[in-house]
Amino acid sequence: MTSSRNNILITVLFCATWVAALGFGARTLFKYETTPGTVGLVSSNWPAGSVVPRQTDKPTLLMLAHPHCPCTRASIGELAQVMAHAVGKVNAFVLFVRPPGAGADWDDSDLRRSAAAIPGVTVLTDDGGTEGAKFGAETSGHTLVFDREGTLVFSGGITASRGHAGDNAGESAVLAALRGETMAQSRTPVFGCLLQKRNSVTEPVLCLK
Amino acid sequence: MFEIASLVGASESTGDRAEELFQQHRRQIFRQTDQLFARLMLFQWVACIVIALVVSPRTWDGASSQVHIHVWSAILIGGAISLFPVWMTRVWPGAVATRYVIAVAQMLMSALLIALTGGRIETHFHVFGSLVVLSFYRDWRVLVPATVVVALDHFLRGVYLPYSVYGVLSASPWRSIEHAGWVIFENVFLVISCFRSIREMRFIANRTAALEASDQRSRQLFDDAPIGMAVVALDNQQFKQVNARFAEMVGYSEQELMTRTPLDITHPEDLADSQRLVKEMLGGTERCCVEKRYLRKSGDILWATRTACIIRDKDGKARDFLIMVEDITERKRAEEAVREGQRKLEAALETNQLIMDNSQDVICTIDESGRFVTINEASETMWGFSPNELIGRRYMELVHPDDRPATEKAAAEILESGKLADFVNRYVRKDGSVVSVLWSASWSATKKKLFCVAHDVTQRTRIEAALRDAKEEADRANHAKSEFLSRMSHELRTPLNAILGFGQLLERQNPTAQQRARVAHIMSAGRHLLNLINEVLDISRIEAGHLQLSVEPVAVAEVLDEALDLMRPLAADRSMQLSVDAQLEKDLHILADRQRLKQVLLNLLTNAVKYTAIGGRIGVSVQQSGPTRTRVVITDTGAGIASEMLARLFTPFDRLGVEQSGVEGTGLGLALCQRLMQAMAGDIGVTSTVGKGSAFWIELPAADSPLKALPRNRTATMDDTSTTEVGRILYIEDNLSNLTLVEQMLAEQPNIELLTAMQGGLGLDLARQHLPDLILLDLHLPDLPGHEVLARLRQDKLTRDIPVVVISADATARQIKRLMAAGARTYLTKPLDIGEFFRVIDETMRNRNRHLEAAVA
Repeated sequence: MTSSRNNILITVLFCATWVAALGFGARTLFKYETTPGTVGLVSSNWPAGSVVPRQTDKPTLLMLAHPHCPCTRASIGELAQVMAHAVGKVNAFVLFVRPPGAGADWDDSDLRRSAAAIPGVTVLTDDGGTEGAKFGAETSGHTLVFDREGTLVFSGGITASRGHAGDNAGESAVLAALRGETMAQSRTPVFGCLLQKRNSVTEPVLCLK
Repeated sequence: MFEIASLVGASESTGDRAEELFQQHRRQIFRQTDQLFARLMLFQWVACIVIALVVSPRTWDGASSQVHIHVWSAILIGGAISLFPVWMTRVWPGAVATRYVIAVAQMLMSALLIALTGGRIETHFHVFGSLVVLSFYRDWRVLVPATVVVALDHFLRGVYLPYSVYGVLSASPWRSIEHAGWVIFENVFLVISCFRSIREMRFIANRTAALEASDQRSRQLFDDAPIGMAVVALDNQQFKQVNARFAEMVGYSEQELMTRTPLDITHPEDLADSQRLVKEMLGGTERCCVEKRYLRKSGDILWATRTACIIRDKDGKARDFLIMVEDITERKRAEEAVREGQRKLEAALETNQLIMDNSQDVICTIDESGRFVTINEASETMWGFSPNELIGRRYMELVHPDDRPATEKAAAEILESGKLADFVNRYVRKDGSVVSVLWSASWSATKKKLFCVAHDVTQRTRIEAALRDAKEEADRANHAKSEFLSRMSHELRTPLNAILGFGQLLERQNPTAQQRARVAHIMSAGRHLLNLINEVLDISRIEAGHLQLSVEPVAVAEVLDEALDLMRPLAADRSMQLSVDAQLEKDLHILADRQRLKQVLLNLLTNAVKYTAIGGRIGVSVQQSGPTRTRVVITDTGAGIASEMLARLFTPFDRLGVEQSGVEGTGLGLALCQRLMQAMAGDIGVTSTVGKGSAFWIELPAADSPLKALPRNRTATMDDTSTTEVGRILYIEDNLSNLTLVEQMLAEQPNIELLTAMQGGLGLDLARQHLPDLILLDLHLPDLPGHEVLARLRQDKLTRDIPVVVISADATARQIKRLMAAGARTYLTKPLDIGEFFRVIDETMRNRNRHLEAAVA
């Protein structure tokens, strides 16, 4: 009797410890996934001096991405969803940032090939990250939508969390903007890697600005 | 009633067993599924790591990168999720907690995978797959914590991940319901599947339990069968299974039999048959039954009825034999005993037939009506009729007409007594001659038959008739011889009386020396002739059976003293030493006629003195030769007798060649001694060494002293061993022991005066002088026979009326009658009964006194 009770007690104790450990792990992972990256100073108009060829007949969608960021795979996937609904209605560009000192094949990645494979998407390389800096993008997956006049209508990420595919507020807002509908929100958090290494990183999270 | 209860009990037992089997099966499934999940967990852990490494190996900060947190999560969180349930499967396999932990861990693993793959919709199939695999437990309750984890995961994601398709704020609110609906849909079917599996498991358990019970019953029937049973493999012919009864029957243990074949324990003489039967069964014979012999371990033979049949497997292929063995050893023994009995009966019948066929006697059976039923061939020899001529014919027709009445009487008697023996009658043969037949027959009342044996005694009858004639002739001759001896005795004694009488007168008339010598010759020759006549007459009496003996307890020392007293002067004349055994007991008695014993002793002593040289030694000793015999031995230092002459020693008139030695003798003394000893149930013999001397011995039955009959510590009180009468008694008796006995018996009777006489003549004198009131008379006296003394007492006026009581060991009815007729009052036999003695004395003297008182009055 006593032995059976001890067994139950030990089982419960082990289970509780196990659940607690798993809860801690899940919380850590969840916190990582749901913590957005930094966003720079984003201009409300198409920045002057940008080499990205904007056309005035259609809105322009611009995504800045790190060619090796696994979190951005979800953003590319969501971009494919968006383009599926708005092909021919928008000029879409994905700028893969090449940090200074990076090799020539830096942006030769599956992400670039995925992005290039999306119909209506033009893939560009941002050597040195200068274009990104002009658009105020610091986190991979940062998506910007400008109307025909060059006015910024949306800025943010199009995934719900880090690397998490699926419907989300950013994607819905982009589709609404492209359709000319009212957006529920024009700003969303961006989840992804830092496009360029910051000189002064004060927060432990890698992709945080 | 009991059978129903037994069936109910069996049913309950089967139900319990089914439940036990069901639970065993469940536990087995739980354990097996635990092991499956243990391996699956480890695999999933590795898969998580691989996926993390492939999908998001590193995280980037510009151009620099680090290991992605997903990789660490896959390692650490995946490990935490996997290892704990794996550990539980090792520690508590099959436990409820283990299953529930596994269910939770599996769904957490789904959540981790979904997280690592960035929420790919395909990864969600892991959830459905996990639920299916969890249903392998066949325990619907396991699905509950799994579903709860899925729900919680999605709820939390919905809360913390707005716009997630899995969250509450998804793009389409119905999608979460649809998502949950699919999970519930799957759960419903999985739960149904679990219940169906449970039902199937119970069904299997019930069937297994029923099969087990059936198998158990079969096994029990096999094990407890009262006959021997064994299963034998067809391929190698070895025993596969035997029951206890079979092992007990053949004397081997079950383990020993497992290494043997039935042929190993088959009797060598039955091997060929057994091998043939095995071949027949291998050839397709389904069943065979034989009687055969097995050899027990002890070497004894076991007779058995062996039934064998083929055991087939489910495909109908012959696999084994089942053999059933019944011990019929006792039956075989009984059969053998019956056969042996039949053999003996046949042998007996054959022997009987041989006896019947070869017998010289007629053996036949006769029915109630007196007709021959069976008869052997001897009938032809005996009566001249063959058996066929006699069977059915009445035997009385063959009986001589003169013997028919006696035969009919014998036939009637046999029907009553059942037996007939030594019956002789005459039959008329076929040729008319007459044959005498001796019959032995018995009557069987149950079979109503006479079983008869007839023996031809014609010749024997003739011989018997001749013998009868010869005996009559011999009797006549014997009578004539007795008459002759009697006459001769009288005729010889009469002149001898004159010769010896006048010879004595001449000796008294002062003859001259020459005349004295001549008279001495006449007297010697006369006495010799007288002794010769007496001895011849004695031998004649003994051989004719006319010698009267009074055998009674006699004191050996007393008779020896008397004989030695007589011999001492003769021994002294020859300067001989005559010595007697110093250890001789005075009270030692033997059964003998006192006078004849003394005669034998005197004869032997006389011979010893006569045939021993002057100055020799003669010894007398008495020995116990056996518990009931006493031996008197007389030794001398004479010339001895050659061994070849000893056989002639007791032959009448054979003096062994000493006729010329000058020693007088008739040659009849030892012959007479031998006959006297035989007449007294004694024996006589001699051992002799030539030159050293001889030892003659006589042997007679030992006897107790008559004085032992006296009661001890007698008192003077009136009882049956005393008398109140007053008077004088005269006892005439030569046996000192008997005299002493009567003296002691009357010593305590002060009213009785006892006079004794050891000779008849002296007794007569005392009777005339003292006129006793009663005379006790012994019949055997040294000088006069007792009946002569009685006759003289009755002739004398003075003693005529004195009552005489005869006391003798010689008590034949004829003699008693003769003595009573001669005047004896009554008769007492030796040994004396004291009570009877006093009763007779008391009664006789009382009558005598009354008679005298009446005469005086």
